[in-house]
Amino acid sequence: MTESQQPQGGLRSDQVSGLILFALALYVGWLNREFPVGSLAEPGPGYVPMLLAIGLGLIGLLIAVFGSRSSAVSGMAWPEATRALVIMTACVLATFALERIGYRITVVALLVFFFGVIERKSWWMTATVAVTFSLASHYVVGVLLKVPLPRGPWGF
Amino acid sequence: MVETLNSLMHGFAVAFQPEVMMYAFFGCIIGTLVGMMPGLGPLAGISLLLPATFGLNPIIAIVLLAGVYYGAMYGGSTTSILMRIPGEAASVMTCVDGYAMTQQGRAGPALAIAAIGSFVAGTLGVLGLMLLAPTLASFALRFGPPEYTALLLVGLFVLAYMSGGSMLKTLAMAVFGLLLGMIGIDVMSGYTRFSFGITELGDGVGIVPVAVGLFGISEILMTAGQSDPPKVQRPTLRQLVPTASDLRQSAGPIARGSLLGFMIGIIPGSAHVISSFVSYGLERRLSKHPERFGNGAIEGVAGPESANNAAATGAFVPMLALGIPTGPVTAVMLAAIMVHGILPGPMLIEQQPELFWGFVASMYVGNVVLLILNLPMVGVFVSLLRIPYAYLYPCILAFCILGCYSVSNSTMDVWIMLVMGVVGYALRKFGFDLAPVALGLVLGPMLELSLRQALAMSGGDYGIFLDRPIALTMLGFAMLLLLFAVKPLIFKGKDWRSKVGLDEPADS
Repeated sequence: MTESQQPQGGLRSDQVSGLILFALALYVGWLNREFPVGSLAEPGPGYVPMLLAIGLGLIGLLIAVFGSRSSAVSGMAWPEATRALVIMTACVLATFALERIGYRITVVALLVFFFGVIERKSWWMTATVAVTFSLASHYVVGVLLKVPLPRGPWGF
Repeated sequence: MVETLNSLMHGFAVAFQPEVMMYAFFGCIIGTLVGMMPGLGPLAGISLLLPATFGLNPIIAIVLLAGVYYGAMYGGSTTSILMRIPGEAASVMTCVDGYAMTQQGRAGPALAIAAIGSFVAGTLGVLGLMLLAPTLASFALRFGPPEYTALLLVGLFVLAYMSGGSMLKTLAMAVFGLLLGMIGIDVMSGYTRFSFGITELGDGVGIVPVAVGLFGISEILMTAGQSDPPKVQRPTLRQLVPTASDLRQSAGPIARGSLLGFMIGIIPGSAHVISSFVSYGLERRLSKHPERFGNGAIEGVAGPESANNAAATGAFVPMLALGIPTGPVTAVMLAAIMVHGILPGPMLIEQQPELFWGFVASMYVGNVVLLILNLPMVGVFVSLLRIPYAYLYPCILAFCILGCYSVSNSTMDVWIMLVMGVVGYALRKFGFDLAPVALGLVLGPMLELSLRQALAMSGGDYGIFLDRPIALTMLGFAMLLLLFAVKPLIFKGKDWRSKVGLDEPADS
């Protein structure tokens, strides 16, 4: 048993994850009401999703019930969470921009943000790597492999 | 047998075409690099490369992707041995004794034995694939929807029973994946399910964005903020030569690992990951000096490395013979074949002999290429690990976005990838195995369709599953597995995981 798994007060990680799965199962079951379930002999489009939602709910409850010996949620370490959030935010913005300003500019902007702002690399290395990667990947994928990559309003 | 050899000769004629050989070579190099880089496992590598294969002929496409797959299996061992960083999940066990050998100044023999074991296992695996797949395919011609339903259920139960982590958690992830597979148009009724009004979701959720998100993005999120990689040793060519004692001690583990890996590879689940864990446990159990394990036992490198390579090849048997993926990697490879209008299944070997035998022959060639690449050129590959992670992960992220966008030229796939990245990150923090999600996503629509077709065939009578001997046998096997799986929960006994020392959930 590791330090983080030592008995502590409060909710256990498996209890939380089990209950989240149970809640997800309830949500799927609620969404599934729009589709005819059919019968045992003649299943409709809602039949299998309903079975799966029931299965997920049951398993979620079992995980929660048997989860009393898992590590405490309060003891879980999230040292990378802030950086992960920044990374995801940057990726979300890049995805928004992809079809609006084109692949090459989006990737240059994304990499400049990571190299220059997050990792604090020198400006010339940041610019060199970002521009080289963007142009080289566009050339290989867009030109050589003929995959149509998005262009911005300026034509590139 | 003569027919098999003739077909193999025909396959070699295809594999020795310069273009095919060139792509096999590229695949092996890319795979080795991908396997060595933490955060880019074989699945992410194959997924990212998939759009690039759309313009190639199907034989070349599958040869290239297969090269990446088993190249990654080879490459993963290098970082495990030299840096204690598993390039991909299957190499986790190699870290234990491989890195201990490096600390004792024996990195060379560890790398050599890993490469030799991988070569032997890969070659034996291809032999097994060559002999077993055609037989299985001709047997599978007797399969109808009830048999496929039973087979897919067996697959899911095997996955839960053989999973590295908690059985309940694995089942939960498989059901979650099956539910993801329900998104999109129901082919039997025409209803669009769980699409939230988003037109693109009518076609369902693709395996590539889900796989890249779950495995690639989540890995980057998990390692966010990591400092520069540690120092890397670069053994010289002379240091790579194992002693006679090393070879003698490794022969048995390599043979057992090859056989075990191949057999585990055939059944669904994260086969190559499980096989390396089971092989390590087996070798430790068989050893007269189990205390050596964890302190630089060469058997602890030879067994798992052979097992994960043989499992990688074994996974191709059901993929090529039945059209059923055993894991996310083979699911993506099936997608690569289907893009070219080829329907995987029992008729594939008969209708596309060039593809099957060319593929088999190219794997022999690939194994030789990998042996050559992995021994003398190990120093060159290791240089790549000197690229600071601060430069590496943003480029991998950009590649992930590029790869997912390229699949169907739609940002929807990129959004799915990002969502699955966050989901994968959260699931890993809570100790869930991610491979069943990807497998469930692929098997879900197949299972639903075959179940409803079977019931349509029988007029709604579930007795059809008991009337047909193959389906009945498989369902009986599934029940048996369920009982074995439930036994430790009820009787508080030890199951196979604790016996092989696999108590912690296997992370993908």
